[in-house]
Amino acid sequence: MLVVPFIIQHKFRFKGVVMKIPQLLAKGLALSMLVATASFGFNEGTDYIKLEKPINNADKTLIKVFSYDCPFCYKYDKAVTPGVVAKLPNGVSFKPFHLKTKGKYGIQASELFATLIIKDKDNGIQSLFDEKSQFKKAKMAYYKAYHDKKERWDSGAESFLETGLAASGISKADFEKAKEDPRVKAMISEWEQSYDVAKIQGVPAFVVNGKYLIYTQSIKSPQGMLDLVNELLAK
Amino acid sequence: MNFFKTLWQEFKSCPVGAIAKWQDARFLWLVMAAASIFLILVAHSLFQNYVFMKPCEQCVYIRFAFLCMAIGGLIAAINPKNVALKIIGYAFGFWGIIQGILYSIKLNAIHHAAHSDDPFGVQGCSAEPSFPLGLPLDVWAPDWFKPTGDCGFDSPIVPDGVELSGLQQWLVNYYADGWYLFPSSHSVNMAQACLFAYIVCLILLGAMFLSWIIRTIQARKN
Repeated sequence: MLVVPFIIQHKFRFKGVVMKIPQLLAKGLALSMLVATASFGFNEGTDYIKLEKPINNADKTLIKVFSYDCPFCYKYDKAVTPGVVAKLPNGVSFKPFHLKTKGKYGIQASELFATLIIKDKDNGIQSLFDEKSQFKKAKMAYYKAYHDKKERWDSGAESFLETGLAASGISKADFEKAKEDPRVKAMISEWEQSYDVAKIQGVPAFVVNGKYLIYTQSIKSPQGMLDLVNELLAK
Repeated sequence: MNFFKTLWQEFKSCPVGAIAKWQDARFLWLVMAAASIFLILVAHSLFQNYVFMKPCEQCVYIRFAFLCMAIGGLIAAINPKNVALKIIGYAFGFWGIIQGILYSIKLNAIHHAAHSDDPFGVQGCSAEPSFPLGLPLDVWAPDWFKPTGDCGFDSPIVPDGVELSGLQQWLVNYYADGWYLFPSSHSVNMAQACLFAYIVCLILLGAMFLSWIIRTIQARKN
């Protein structure tokens, strides 16, 4: 949005046009456009859209649809998401939704992540970015393995699972039992909604109150993202 | 040698006329088609299959853009003097070039964001590719048009248990940090190289088109 006034100012360096329109008028126009875009805030269609199929039971939430094999999801989780989530208003919760349809081991990852999130909840962990969160340990381990070490787990699902189990410190037996918990199954079932959201503009996909999808492209800074999230929470 | 001398004389004496004459012949159109096909083959058969550098979303779109140019070149080459075929050739050619330029610019932004600590301002990659006109090219020819690589990264990733030939090993090491025209200094990534190629094509095709238009207008005046 800020580009337009700059383009107008640049265009008016060409003599022909300058002779047609008084410079003062042009500068005034550019300045008013700058003010206009700043005061109107974020725009539907450019910064976010309203989901045709809203996510159910998602009031007062910030959902992040992600995949372990998505490089930008990794970048955001390292540098942006924790900060934004920490500053969310009281009563608003952060819910990661893992996309099982992306990546060779998307299904296994979803099972493990859902199991660990429920475990974190049972252990009283308040934030999924807490150092003690088993979900976070497994998630970061997968990110590091896939993106930093280029690990692809060619030997199969067992080796894939081993990475997450080792990082989060639960045994295979424990995991096999814990994933049968009806709450884990319910979460995995809830995450099925990720697919329709990811289809719109890929991952990472941030959804506010289950209704508004932020266009990742429009995010210019962590503060900008927080401002947009807060604005959408109020809608 | 005399052949090239004659061409040069032709060009010097009347550039527009010379180019207009050349674009009536098959040669330039076949060059456009051949160059586009060659680049797709290099991307697919050499880099993707031989050196295990898988394509991301924008990469397959860039291949599609080159495919458009190839189709344009081949159609016009059927009979470049036929105005209808020529126009179709130019249309496919310019569409391919302009799409290619836009995809390359987008890929470059993604590459930059992916390789820096600043992930902002880019969408990244979609869950599924969407080609123009909704063509399901990733379903029709997945080996050529399905994005299997990571968004913004094109380093070779050799599957476990694969025995590499000497040349393969050398290439895998050479491009270990990703494709660059000058790998040791990480300069000119694939997106920038493609952008440069498309701009050269734009200049050449543009010269052909303008020369044809100018000659046609001048002929009408006489």
